[in-house]
Amino acid sequence: MNFTSPFSLALGVIIGLSLLGVPLGHAMIGGSVLYLYLKGMDMGAAAEQLLNGTYSSFLLLAIPLFILAATIMSTGSIMDRLLRFCNAVVGRFPGGLAQVNVLQSVVFASMSGSALADAAGSGKLMQTMMTRDGKYTPGFAAALSAVSSVIGPILPPSIPLVLYALVSGTSIGYLFIAGVLPGLLLGAVQMALIWWLAKRRGFPVEPRVPLRDMPRITREAFPALLLPVILLGCLYSGITTPTEAAGVAAAYALLIAAGLYRSLRWPDLYDALLSSAKMSISIGMLIAGALVFNYVITSENIPATLRGMLQGLQLSPMMFLLLVNVILLVLGAFLEGSTIILIILPVLLPTAVALGIDPVHFGVMAVLNIMIGLVTPPYGLLLFMMMKIANVSLAVLVRESIPFLLVMIAALAMVTVWPDFVLALPRLAGYKG
Amino acid sequence: MTRLHRFAEGVAALLLAVIFIAFMVQIVMRYLFNWPVGWTTELSLAAWLWLVLWGAAFVLKDDEEIRIDTFADGGSPRRRRLVQAVGAVSLIVLFGMSLPASWSYVTFMKVEKSSYLGVRMDVMYSIYIVFAVAVIGRCLRQLVRGPAPRAADASSASAL
Repeated sequence: MNFTSPFSLALGVIIGLSLLGVPLGHAMIGGSVLYLYLKGMDMGAAAEQLLNGTYSSFLLLAIPLFILAATIMSTGSIMDRLLRFCNAVVGRFPGGLAQVNVLQSVVFASMSGSALADAAGSGKLMQTMMTRDGKYTPGFAAALSAVSSVIGPILPPSIPLVLYALVSGTSIGYLFIAGVLPGLLLGAVQMALIWWLAKRRGFPVEPRVPLRDMPRITREAFPALLLPVILLGCLYSGITTPTEAAGVAAAYALLIAAGLYRSLRWPDLYDALLSSAKMSISIGMLIAGALVFNYVITSENIPATLRGMLQGLQLSPMMFLLLVNVILLVLGAFLEGSTIILIILPVLLPTAVALGIDPVHFGVMAVLNIMIGLVTPPYGLLLFMMMKIANVSLAVLVRESIPFLLVMIAALAMVTVWPDFVLALPRLAGYKG
Repeated sequence: MTRLHRFAEGVAALLLAVIFIAFMVQIVMRYLFNWPVGWTTELSLAAWLWLVLWGAAFVLKDDEEIRIDTFADGGSPRRRRLVQAVGAVSLIVLFGMSLPASWSYVTFMKVEKSSYLGVRMDVMYSIYIVFAVAVIGRCLRQLVRGPAPRAADASSASAL
């Protein structure tokens, strides 16, 4: 590798600026401008790529709409109703409240597409509930909220999968459907681990909710529980495009929050719009930067070069996938996840396809891997977030999350070596792959 | 300043509302009236483009952007000031360097019009120039004023 080539210098500037705390999107635009300048190319190409890319990606509109739906769903009493429902279902099992935490994440995951939003939305609430009366240690409660949030972006809807669909050209509908089984698997291994830990550490069981209360509790939560059903129905049947499904989800959330539960008033709606807008802007800006930088990567022909290099190594598809897993776990410890999806995955994908790996399987596996990176030290954003919310030290948090990390890596291994597990549902929906 | 910032936030909230409403209109027209319309798509894409660039220019504070704060926000105030100054100067140079070419690209687009609404594309794309100038302006302000005091609860923003 030539360290004074325009590409190396541009990459160096991007990494340097990022470390200086410059927003990643701006850094990528800046580095790309330098590349264009050094190559003697038209620097207007940066503006051109950014503007045309953002203006033409209908798919990306799903992101603000899913964010809006999730924001509305986490306001007011909807979260309370869902929690009561989860408690009635799994509170009676060993480690009751911990089980509730995971189930709540699974339910909320099927409405929101972001792990950090899940942790921010319910993390604080679960922390208070779990540590009240000294039922669980703050460290365990915080670690659990962090690891259970990882389910969010695997189960549809998922913002990381939208980003992957954007850069890979894979159908977002099939990607979403492919995320269902791995997401449920993640929930299942976490709940099984809690069961086991509960026996060993004597976690409390919640008082049984009498069976006669179940219809009422279910009825109260039912309209909210219907959202994932509607969403999956839209995706599965192909009635609407996935982007339109995001719009339907937001409209439905608005309808039940404002109309049915009356928990959303005008000022709340404005706040929901504004905070969703802010989150969409920060993601949109990162995508904008990636669009410009991907143009540079393409002009340098990097994906093809890498494919040639890796093919020279004569890797079997399985070896390649394992290699990718290791690369992503290492990168995930230092890089922000959506950057990996937008920049690194498109570079690796052509090799994967050349080796006969299914792009939907590859995407779900990679996203699962990157999400696990969110709870892996040293750069696990979810850990930092729960550290602040729960006011516990990183050391305690890491110690409590290690058993969960191990079972999640086991789940990742299963998803990696067993493509049919991921692809079964999409195939039922008509995916040919 | 705060009033201007609130106005900028209001515009961002409105643009998101436009995306949402355009979608609703599109779905209702297509499925209830069996009458697919194209302008809704165009309107929501335009609102999305403007939302991102307007927001990055005027709404988001630096710590709300997706950025790596691990190295930048540590250390003494002097070190932080130096780190931010280097970042700001680099962005001023790089965005400044590409501004003339960006300008000529955007003005060149006046030959095209959007397909449904007939908006001239140089008008549609002018928000990029606004964004680029705002980035330079914000960096200059940062150089003059020094880094903003670190918010107590500033957390790393991320898309995931």
